[in-house]
Amino acid sequence: MDGIHDLGGKPGYGSIKIDEPEGPFHHAWEAREWGISRCARTPDISIDWWRHCRELIMPEDYLERPYFDSWAQTDFATYIDAGVMSLDEVVSGITDPDQYDKEIPPLPLNKTQVILEDRKSAFRFDAEIDTNPIFSIGQEVITDRQGHDGHTRLPQYARGKRGIVHAHHGAHVFPDLSARGEETHQHLYSIVFEANELWPEDGGTNDKVYLDLWENYLSEQSI
Amino acid sequence: MPEYDAKKVTEIHQHLHSHLPSDSALRVKALESLLVDKGLIDPRTIDAWVEAYTEEIGPKRGAHVIARAWSDPNYKQWLMKDAPAAIDKLGYLGNATAHLKVVENTDSIHNLVVCTLCSCYPFSILGVAPAWYKAAAYRSRAVRDPRGVLAEFGVVIDDKIEVRVWDSTAELRYLVLPQRPAGSDDLSEGELAGLVTRNSMIGTDRDLTAKTGGIS
Repeated sequence: MDGIHDLGGKPGYGSIKIDEPEGPFHHAWEAREWGISRCARTPDISIDWWRHCRELIMPEDYLERPYFDSWAQTDFATYIDAGVMSLDEVVSGITDPDQYDKEIPPLPLNKTQVILEDRKSAFRFDAEIDTNPIFSIGQEVITDRQGHDGHTRLPQYARGKRGIVHAHHGAHVFPDLSARGEETHQHLYSIVFEANELWPEDGGTNDKVYLDLWENYLSEQSI
Repeated sequence: MPEYDAKKVTEIHQHLHSHLPSDSALRVKALESLLVDKGLIDPRTIDAWVEAYTEEIGPKRGAHVIARAWSDPNYKQWLMKDAPAAIDKLGYLGNATAHLKVVENTDSIHNLVVCTLCSCYPFSILGVAPAWYKAAAYRSRAVRDPRGVLAEFGVVIDDKIEVRVWDSTAELRYLVLPQRPAGSDDLSEGELAGLVTRNSMIGTDRDLTAKTGGIS
């Protein structure tokens, strides 16, 4: 979807605020949200549906509210959507015991245990599939000109652009369908674009931009 | 189960916009207490995750990987070919690094990593991303004006050097292998790791020196 999240190449965001305090968290609540996100996610959720729910945050909130605040808001939205909590509970902050069964709480983990959990969370997204890749390394391809309403990982700035297949990564979960609850795998490629192809109006560098793009986003470039 | 209904989620966001307190700390506190009340989370485990990502899982892991690659050509070759296996050898495989790729800076190439669509980052080797990496200014400009972005970080790239920007649009994550600084031949792996900055592994830093103050 052509949402506010699709920021690549958009003008107007100014200079980068590179001076920030040391350390991973600048406020205690940021650390809590990070910890919450590592402890629990909505059951059966795909990362792509979570990302799509974050993209659906109102544009003014997406741009103006702090980064980890958007994680909390996305968590609320996905939990409400999945029926884990209700909007009334979120707004009041009070659990309604009549409406939802309480789970048996998980055993608490210490730092050593969560570091092992982190190792276990090295999830892979690739799989063997029956079809061979359509494109080969070095081949010229053109990306889709058109987007769609749902979640996609083809950014607007790289639509309808010519690039070269730099690498084949095997078949990975296709995000456009995964965000709708359908897990299918499709060949994924690293595609390299000349900066001049992406931003001809900017003129003259030999710089390159690499994107990882699924087969569905690509067509053979006709001569 | 998720319903995958984008229209419904859009409406939920509108309700949350109108009815939640504006203070982020209060919002996150409300989320934590509801999840604890429902028996889905133990607050002591949240504490443990915060400790882990404050004390152990951070850019010092990435710096160790880089120092090993500088010191051991066989390890470097393995890292370039199969980064997840190579970092697992050091105990650093984990969150968002199962499809890690390492891209190497040379005299004629500079690499820069971004995620224009969200904020993808190789957490288990670099920890929590800096705020600027997740902000609109970096995400919008890194792909279009990488040299201008680098200049704001104090990195001036000669016209002869090709800049390669890696936009993390899939589940692959990218780690930059910076060039080993001159004058570091006699340093141990531990000392070399001390020269590596977090930003050099994202690509917003380039010329490390034998005196660079790295990651504490």
